[in-house]
Amino acid sequence: MCRYCVEFGNGTKWYLNPENYRRELYEAKGHAYGFNMLAGAGKNTFETGSLVHFEDQTPDYKNAMAGQVAVDLMTQHSGQVVPLEDAVKILEMVPGDRFLLMHCSCRRYFGHGDVYSCLFFEPAVEKALAERPWETDSKIITKEEAIKMEYEWDKKGLIHNVLDVGTDADGKPPIVMCHCNATDCMPTNLRLALGHRHALRKGEYVAKVDLAKCREGCKSFPACVARCNFGAIKYNPLEKVVYLEPTLCFGCGLCRAVCPTKAIELVDRTTYPALVDEW
Amino acid sequence: MSTYVTPRHRVYFDHAACGNAIECLKCVHVCRDHGANCIGFVNEKTPPVGENAPKRLEDIKHIVFGVRMYRCDGCGKCVEVCPRNAVRLEKVDVPVPRAVVYQPPFEIRCSIFKDGSMPPEAEKIYNGILEAMKQAGANKG
Repeated sequence: MCRYCVEFGNGTKWYLNPENYRRELYEAKGHAYGFNMLAGAGKNTFETGSLVHFEDQTPDYKNAMAGQVAVDLMTQHSGQVVPLEDAVKILEMVPGDRFLLMHCSCRRYFGHGDVYSCLFFEPAVEKALAERPWETDSKIITKEEAIKMEYEWDKKGLIHNVLDVGTDADGKPPIVMCHCNATDCMPTNLRLALGHRHALRKGEYVAKVDLAKCREGCKSFPACVARCNFGAIKYNPLEKVVYLEPTLCFGCGLCRAVCPTKAIELVDRTTYPALVDEW
Repeated sequence: MSTYVTPRHRVYFDHAACGNAIECLKCVHVCRDHGANCIGFVNEKTPPVGENAPKRLEDIKHIVFGVRMYRCDGCGKCVEVCPRNAVRLEKVDVPVPRAVVYQPPFEIRCSIFKDGSMPPEAEKIYNGILEAMKQAGANKG
């Protein structure tokens, strides 16, 4: 269980605590800036002067701590990896039936084209629609369609990443579900390349491989390795099995879906006491 | 904040010569196709909201710049592809790391360049050490 869950979880995970979805929270001081930034008013998602200038603000790549503090101060929102079942639970919990399907900013701004993979919740839907009239092909979809899309994205191999509008004393309200992969996603890059942990937090789970089942599985063509964006699954060519490195695992659960013998399952991060600071 | 700067190639854009980047984006795409994907583009400032809000993405002024320069290998394709000569790639002379001494909270990085010369700061420290050694020797003798 991460620090967010301890502080904002009320006994469960922070994103499964209905208290965090209270409407007045989004307009409360402390969250309002993050809300405006993600929903469009006052700031478009990516813009000069925001996090994209970390090249200049992080002169020393090796000095991760200084960079991390700088990024922590700059970010008014953060993301955390969630597996498919939690992503679906989040969508079910979100008040309102309207979801806004928009282009992924990261993919657009790095030349990967316009990809529908950003799913805004209420109350950001109306605001984002009104404030970004140039996004003419954004779609409003229902809860049922949104959940269906979550399954599709998972099948494609995209990580579910829930972003909130800032951690403050009164709560941590989620606002958008991103669907990332390590090559396109800006926060994932910040985390993996420069160690900015606040940009993308690890999930509340880690994957676990049942080696007996794994041995009977795909043998020489481990599809799970290709599904892992974080290099947590290592293939052993001598034993023809994969080993999982829990300290690298982000708990996205993508590897499970492609295993022919269902040898991979997600377990709670607390299964490994050593991971308590690793999230 | 540390004063050490990680050596990396830097790319600079003449935004005036470039114009509205979203109409071209050749450098972004060539960098992506090279596999580096360092160059990104964003809007320059917040577009107005309400009546005067831009109706198309192309109406918003976008600029390009190097975001993930740690991936840059200095291929120079972004400079070649630019039709308006707006890109300048500043390559760094890669220093050969000699030693990193890390003893919290201090971190000392020593390095020499390929030709055997040193960065000015390192040379200053090196000369200081030579001087100190000389003095220590003089005191002894």
